[in-house]
Amino acid sequence: MPSSMFEDIAVTASITVVPSKIRNLDEDIDLFDGNKRQLDRLKKTIGFDQRRIADASITALDLCYQAASHLLEQSDIKAKNIDGILFVTQTADHSQPSNASLMHRKLECHSECAAFDIGLGCSGFVYGLWLAHSLIHSGSCETILLLSGDTLSRMVHPKDKTTAPLFGDAGSATIIQKKASSGPSWFRLGSDGTGSDALIVPAGGARYPSSDVTKKETEDEEGAIRTLEDLHMDGSSVFNFSIDVVPREIEALLNFAQVEKNTIDFYVLHQANRYIVQNIGKRLQLDLAKLPVRSFEAFGNVSSASIPAAMSYDLSKILVDSERRQILLSGFGVGLSWGSCILPIESMVCLKWFEYDEAMA
Amino acid sequence: MEQLIKIIEESLYELEPGSITGESNVVQLKEWDSLALLTLTDAVDLEFGVLLKKDEIEASGTVLKLHQLILSKQK
Repeated sequence: MPSSMFEDIAVTASITVVPSKIRNLDEDIDLFDGNKRQLDRLKKTIGFDQRRIADASITALDLCYQAASHLLEQSDIKAKNIDGILFVTQTADHSQPSNASLMHRKLECHSECAAFDIGLGCSGFVYGLWLAHSLIHSGSCETILLLSGDTLSRMVHPKDKTTAPLFGDAGSATIIQKKASSGPSWFRLGSDGTGSDALIVPAGGARYPSSDVTKKETEDEEGAIRTLEDLHMDGSSVFNFSIDVVPREIEALLNFAQVEKNTIDFYVLHQANRYIVQNIGKRLQLDLAKLPVRSFEAFGNVSSASIPAAMSYDLSKILVDSERRQILLSGFGVGLSWGSCILPIESMVCLKWFEYDEAMA
Repeated sequence: MEQLIKIIEESLYELEPGSITGESNVVQLKEWDSLALLTLTDAVDLEFGVLLKKDEIEASGTVLKLHQLILSKQK
């Protein structure tokens, strides 16, 4: 299990951008056979309410570019000083080249800059942070731009009631820098490939290329309709994984770091849904006021952007001040994979989220 | 057994109290759905310390057999 500790490296800035188009759960009532009571139950229990959907012309690259441009404008970081671009996404513009390369061109970064994509979902932001810390720690880089974004609404079939109401779109940009006296950071990562079928898009890649067969709609026993090119989620397995592995991993991280649970100011978990986040919190006996969940209710599950989105939605006014805080982040999902970290945060440029502006594109 | 029945009744939306017995097949009830599965899995884990899989619950047949499965996994 990769466990790492770093010093003098800090997350100094972050922001999230979401599409302006909102889809309310009430608009999906046909997925639930018009059953309003069931819809209300889902809202109450899971926290389903609304999600942000990108128009067909907007990609994760566009959302992240607007986030990065705004972040650079609002901080004292220049694009030419970025020596690493990491782009976490599963909805890249092209299979080749990488979104990171396209971002490098759009931001007009210096040629002495490593730029590559990371193909992960909901755990990806923490993996990206870990990689950024590792690159800075090794001396390879000093300032890294971490983008994490997806348009997963396009990967789900609109008639699949097990996924369609869940996933929204978003893009985020985060800066990680070498910074003296910033305090220690701790990471733990893990994977379980035996669960790789629990979240999968079966076809459309190199193994099963797109064809008439893979585009054919089928209906499962719960009445969910999808094709082999859509995201399939075994909700029960993913739920069991979340409540089994994540609390254990967070406990292990706290133990590794020798940090007391109650000294963590905020636990920012992947916003899978409110039920899972609060369930993990209860199992860890955490003060639920320390667990942001409102961004899920506003944006939906935005995959790799969900942790920065929660920071941008719930904590932007808090993390900017000069008081040193410790926050614990935890991402978990496709792979199956998971990653958690404890970060020192002080005077961070943590900006409030904003809506994508097509006029700026 | 009574505790498991109570958990099942709480997990199934709009179920009449007292309508579950040891011979009931939970997954064949009209109130059974994916959210009931999720809440039942969660409650069983918290109460009995056993994390059941969807297939195990569906294959258990009756509440009595589900209870036996939980007890066997506790050992």
